[in-house]
Amino acid sequence: MARGFRRRGSGSGVRYAARLDPLERATVAGLMDQVHDLLEPTPVPQTASRPGADDFSSIVAGLAMGVTVAAEDQVDLDASAAERDPALNRLLPTANRVDDEAAAEFRRLTEPGLRQRKAAGLALAAEALRGDDDKVRLDEADARAFLIALTDVRLVLGERMGLRTDDDVDVLETVAADLDDDDPLRYALAVYDFLTWLQETLASAMLVR
Amino acid sequence: MLRRAYPCSVSIAPVQEEVTATGGDVLPDTPWVTIVWNDPVNLMTYVTYVLQSHFGYSRAKAEKLMMDVHTEGRAVVASGPREAMEADTEALHAYGLWATFQKDD
Repeated sequence: MARGFRRRGSGSGVRYAARLDPLERATVAGLMDQVHDLLEPTPVPQTASRPGADDFSSIVAGLAMGVTVAAEDQVDLDASAAERDPALNRLLPTANRVDDEAAAEFRRLTEPGLRQRKAAGLALAAEALRGDDDKVRLDEADARAFLIALTDVRLVLGERMGLRTDDDVDVLETVAADLDDDDPLRYALAVYDFLTWLQETLASAMLVR
Repeated sequence: MLRRAYPCSVSIAPVQEEVTATGGDVLPDTPWVTIVWNDPVNLMTYVTYVLQSHFGYSRAKAEKLMMDVHTEGRAVVASGPREAMEADTEALHAYGLWATFQKDD
């Protein structure tokens, strides 16, 4: 049973600690990997640099119902608008809604750096979940990367499930309640809710009082 | 710590009050704004955290802006020169918020 993040200590010694079982850690880290790869489509070969990767992959592959955020799983509500993966547009949204030229220029200048920063943060966060210990302990800088990585995963998963407005969340919950237990959408929503809860505990613990 | 001076009242057009106060008929430096838009994914707690972390806003100010985003659909979270607004927008994208910059109108 998972236990959410709590703040321990203070100042430079502050730590944020949670308890997640192996399946929970593997699920969250697996999604962080997928979003990492979405942002960095040509990752360097990862063999010796990531010990235990094979065990980890087998855990993910062995999930009774794996949740993926691959583009093929996009719930298609607005196909005409998509020349680029809509999830990428959620991670790297249009920065100017009144001036297309300024938006394009902003994207050209900032997108490579933002992709790199997000990918690095997602890799760091996933790595923090790959220990053998159920206890996840993060210092302030790692906690911040973890918090942002949870955001990026939830943004992509939310996009894949078709969440565009606040009302969509209610609609989705109503729809999911009538689905079979083994329906992928129902499972995805359960994972999404878990990520939401985990992020809420970490964001609350990190808020400056 | 504030990175720069911000108008103390927060509304959709906080900067207009400042402009009026200058009394000049020529605007030497047309203000730009950074806007955060509501989205169904980002948590209220998280948006508050981001506004506090990035801008150095107080908890109360960050929560007020967050509630404006939530209830109004958007809120101006900063105003100033274009370059600064672009930098804010980039930083907020790094956090996963849906931010835009534009000339204040």
